[in-house]
Amino acid sequence: MMKNQDTMSSHKKILVVGGGIGGIRAAMDLAESGRDVVLIDKSISIGGLMTQLDRTFPTNNCDLCTISPRLSEGGRQERIELMTMTEVKTVSGEKGNFTVTLSQAPRYIDLDRCTACGDCYKAFPECVTFSPGLDHRAPTCMRYPQAIPQAYAIDMQKCQDVEALENICKAGAILPQQELKMTELDVGAVILCPGAAIFDPSGLDHFEYEKNPDVVTSLEYERILSASGPTQGELVRPSYGKNPEKIAWIQCVGSRGIQKGAASYCSSACCMFALKEAMVTKERFQDSIETTIFYMDIRTFGKEYEQYRERAENEFHVNLLRSRPHSIVGDAATGNLNITYTTDNDGLSKTEAFDMAVLSTGFCIPDDIKDMALNMGIELNAHNFAKTDVFSPVSTSIPGIYACGLFESPKDIPETMVQASAAACLAARETHPAVNTEEDTTKNLPERDVSNEDPKVGIFICDCGLNIGGVVDTQSLADFGKTLPQVAVSQVVGHGCSKVAMDIIKQTIIDQKLNRVVIGGCSPRTHETKFQDLLKKAGLNKYLVEIANIRDQNTWVHADAPQAALQKAQHLIRMAVTSVKCSHPLTDHSLPMNKDILVVGGGVTGMSSALSLADQGFKVFLVEKTAQLGGIAKNIQKTIEGQTVPPFIEALSKKIVQHSSIEVIFNAFIVDHTGMPGMFKTGLQIAPQMYYRQIDHGITILATGALQNRPNEYLLGEHPDVMTQLDMDGFLEKTPDRIKAMGTAAMIQCVGSRCPDNPDCSRVCCQSAVKNALRMLDINPDMRIFVLYRDMRTYGFLEDYYLEARKRGVIFVRYEKDNPPEVEAAEKGVTLSFVDPILGKRLSLSADCLCLSTGLVADDESTEDLAMIFRLQRTRQGFFLEDHVKLRPLDLSTPGFFVAGTAHSPKNIKESIADAQAVAGRAQALLAKNTIELGAAIARVDSNKCAACLICVRACPFDVPFINADGYSEIDPAKCHGCGVCAAECPAKAIQLMQFEDDQILAKLDGLLERMVA
Amino acid sequence: MEQFEPVVVAFCCHYCAYTAADMAGSKRLAYPANVNIVRVPCSGKVDAIHLMKAFEKGADGVYVAGCLEGDCHFKNGNTQVARRVAYVKRLLDEIGIGGKRLEMFYMSAGMGERFARIATEMTEKIRDLGPNPVKSALNKKKGKAVA
Repeated sequence: MMKNQDTMSSHKKILVVGGGIGGIRAAMDLAESGRDVVLIDKSISIGGLMTQLDRTFPTNNCDLCTISPRLSEGGRQERIELMTMTEVKTVSGEKGNFTVTLSQAPRYIDLDRCTACGDCYKAFPECVTFSPGLDHRAPTCMRYPQAIPQAYAIDMQKCQDVEALENICKAGAILPQQELKMTELDVGAVILCPGAAIFDPSGLDHFEYEKNPDVVTSLEYERILSASGPTQGELVRPSYGKNPEKIAWIQCVGSRGIQKGAASYCSSACCMFALKEAMVTKERFQDSIETTIFYMDIRTFGKEYEQYRERAENEFHVNLLRSRPHSIVGDAATGNLNITYTTDNDGLSKTEAFDMAVLSTGFCIPDDIKDMALNMGIELNAHNFAKTDVFSPVSTSIPGIYACGLFESPKDIPETMVQASAAACLAARETHPAVNTEEDTTKNLPERDVSNEDPKVGIFICDCGLNIGGVVDTQSLADFGKTLPQVAVSQVVGHGCSKVAMDIIKQTIIDQKLNRVVIGGCSPRTHETKFQDLLKKAGLNKYLVEIANIRDQNTWVHADAPQAALQKAQHLIRMAVTSVKCSHPLTDHSLPMNKDILVVGGGVTGMSSALSLADQGFKVFLVEKTAQLGGIAKNIQKTIEGQTVPPFIEALSKKIVQHSSIEVIFNAFIVDHTGMPGMFKTGLQIAPQMYYRQIDHGITILATGALQNRPNEYLLGEHPDVMTQLDMDGFLEKTPDRIKAMGTAAMIQCVGSRCPDNPDCSRVCCQSAVKNALRMLDINPDMRIFVLYRDMRTYGFLEDYYLEARKRGVIFVRYEKDNPPEVEAAEKGVTLSFVDPILGKRLSLSADCLCLSTGLVADDESTEDLAMIFRLQRTRQGFFLEDHVKLRPLDLSTPGFFVAGTAHSPKNIKESIADAQAVAGRAQALLAKNTIELGAAIARVDSNKCAACLICVRACPFDVPFINADGYSEIDPAKCHGCGVCAAECPAKAIQLMQFEDDQILAKLDGLLERMVA
Repeated sequence: MEQFEPVVVAFCCHYCAYTAADMAGSKRLAYPANVNIVRVPCSGKVDAIHLMKAFEKGADGVYVAGCLEGDCHFKNGNTQVARRVAYVKRLLDEIGIGGKRLEMFYMSAGMGERFARIATEMTEKIRDLGPNPVKSALNKKKGKAVA
């Protein structure tokens, strides 16, 4: 491509550095929005850290099942050029016009030829590069079973006999002469998501990590639990292969400045990680195993994570032990690990024997990533993470270069996904989308007409690692399938969603001329589209597949009764077979896409997402129920980092109001909503006249925020010296003199959070308390401040402020949930009484003011109304429920709907802005398409049977059917939502809902109940 | 005597109950394997004929599970089917199968626990009621002993 062109007129690529889950998300979002992407990763396959995990919190889903579809999408997307074993060497130029040099290490394998047959690995295992680096005994040398690219890599240095290696490869894919390749590339923007490394505990001799094989890191433990790991999922002690009976987790290894060489920040994800590992362990081994987590503060601050902790403790009986572990000492005689620790209740040193110890090691930035960043010239923070700003959370110090994921700060997967989409949104501004963004169908075989063929069914059973195969004998299930009538093929395919298995299924369909397919695997909710795509590629109509959910609704819930599970799996397979035989080819309906956007809520989140989209030329309607912009952030003066909030909000509001593509509608309430993805119609009522207005739009973004919690506790609202942290924020700014006059201030954490009324953690209150304490000390350095807390949750770099507060003399005193502090009004100020756990005594304290950390709660009234009107799901606490907690954290289950900011869960300004940019990124991917797919589940009327009785007209929840001029009921496919109520009500059975026709449902019953009437 | 193992059919709507069932899976909440799920786009799609056919073919118990009231993805499919269920219960009473064998439940997508609890309770209830008389009649006809 020519250099020095006008950047916005050129169609430049975007470079994404790092092919972990964040990089894949960013690349996918960009590709979907029509941008060409070069995705590079320094390892031999993409997937990053997540592919090494066994399960992910909070659903404890199998990790590979969750990520593998994204990987194959990432590998499949036409607009993504994938370069593995590649690193960035230099970056020059500026925003919109960068030149980057990439260096690609030799793989010594021809990717086009390698079939991943494994012959090279079997003959010369030492020659094959295997990069999880954790354990070389894993069952295959693929990084993970669904590796993309699905090819080996050779370590030439370890190869003694190159010629023999070449000869063993039947595909002729070995390239011993391959050299390091340098490539120069012009790109419009760069997204950095290289991830982070895991702290190496080798230097900590008191934990005997190097010495004792039974001391492992949390990631190594994950490998042990993983079906694709070295023990194939069997939990055994690395020392001598016996099953452990007692396992300990040691938190904060390498984090919170606890050990030699440890970082001072909190790594954010390890508490959940340890809880998950302990729960999965308990779940697999029930009561025969004891799990204990040694921790300082349990930091379960994410959405509903606190309830996860509750489950770990109460349902799974994981022991949580607040303590300081001193050492792990192996006892050679017994083989035990003796862990010595102190608890803060009595201060005594105790020793307890365990079989295994897991070190919850945190994240750190390795030298190669640091060097890459410094080479590019981007600024790093004190901990070597990319420096970003509260108000621009994914922008680095160089315009046009963005950072997301772990490289930005320690975080978990959902937050990484959010930042990745945010980075994609911002990077997309630097280049124009390609003209043609429609699906490329050239890879599909022409659809075969099967209407005159007798059903010929192929059954493919997934073992899904141990998820299915560990409970039922998949081979016997496949053998059972063969006995069913009209079944031509029935076989086990391993991980059905992996590329290898998909290729086998596709080839079998073609070779055997199958015309119906049954997949026995996970829920159709997860992979139905993927298998439908597969059918298209194999030349079959995509509606000729039926998925039998033998995992989520069988092996996962009947693991305790394998015999019954096998029998049920047989019923489910038979049901699917009888039903798929009745299926017939269907055509999807599609409609033109409306590209306008409705943003509900004019707070920081709503404004930020409106601006991100409007800047790209989209028309945005921003609806706000009050008369002004700014939301709850209007009450915030300063962030913990020290930035002033009001000028930011003022500038943002000004941009919004003046923007030619944004129309702000104040005092407006949403009253009705119709239509479908891509063509919504939403009705508003606008005060004070309450006139009605309807808006047409294709995307809806909910940024309705949350409310400050004000529970009736601790004299809040009754006593002038008792206030919330948010009140204090304003108080500090407006009346510093009153702070100067104070001698003592007290704060109580978790007021109205982590309690029966509101079981969630409000996430933001610990940081607010630390922020306000530090600001008080800035104004009045002699002040005494007491913070009464349950767990201090200053995650990530916020830990630095917690440390600073302690250094500056703020006193943090822990209290137990069952023994909360008591507060009484005094003549001046209040008197607190609480038990100090270290002294073991009840203390009394007079304070001039009391700040309650009350946090945020869902705006139940608004979200309830909106959920009703828009037909959306909410959590029990009234926040909107995302489609997938891990991978689609801001997408709602209805396509075209997104949630951002505190309407999703409590979060701070920086996190809310990242959300806002992320939903803009997600929306822009949808908006790139000119049509919307409506699917095929649409009601059809048989005019010969219709008696025009009007029952369907009355029954339809959306008033779609009408009696047409020919005297029978007509249903407009563009308006039909596909619920099937009309079909169920129709007395003449003149209406059928495609995809769910009556004969299919009855066939399912036949399949299920066959043995009873046979 | 061997314990009677009933066959229970659960018609679950895609958006709520079926998702709740998957959620129960994610959380590994065990419930009896007697419950077999048939997925429908909306509980409102479940026709009286489907319910009756299930009993005719030998199901010992049937239930329909839809979204919570007011939360139906299709506005009111769940309340429409509830009326149908009540009607079929009366029919079942009349013909001697017994209306107690059919129930309607509501749950949201996040209620994995509720799904598992209902599956367990329904199985126990049907176990107490004994086999579907249609089946016993058929078995008798074939000269077999009642299971």
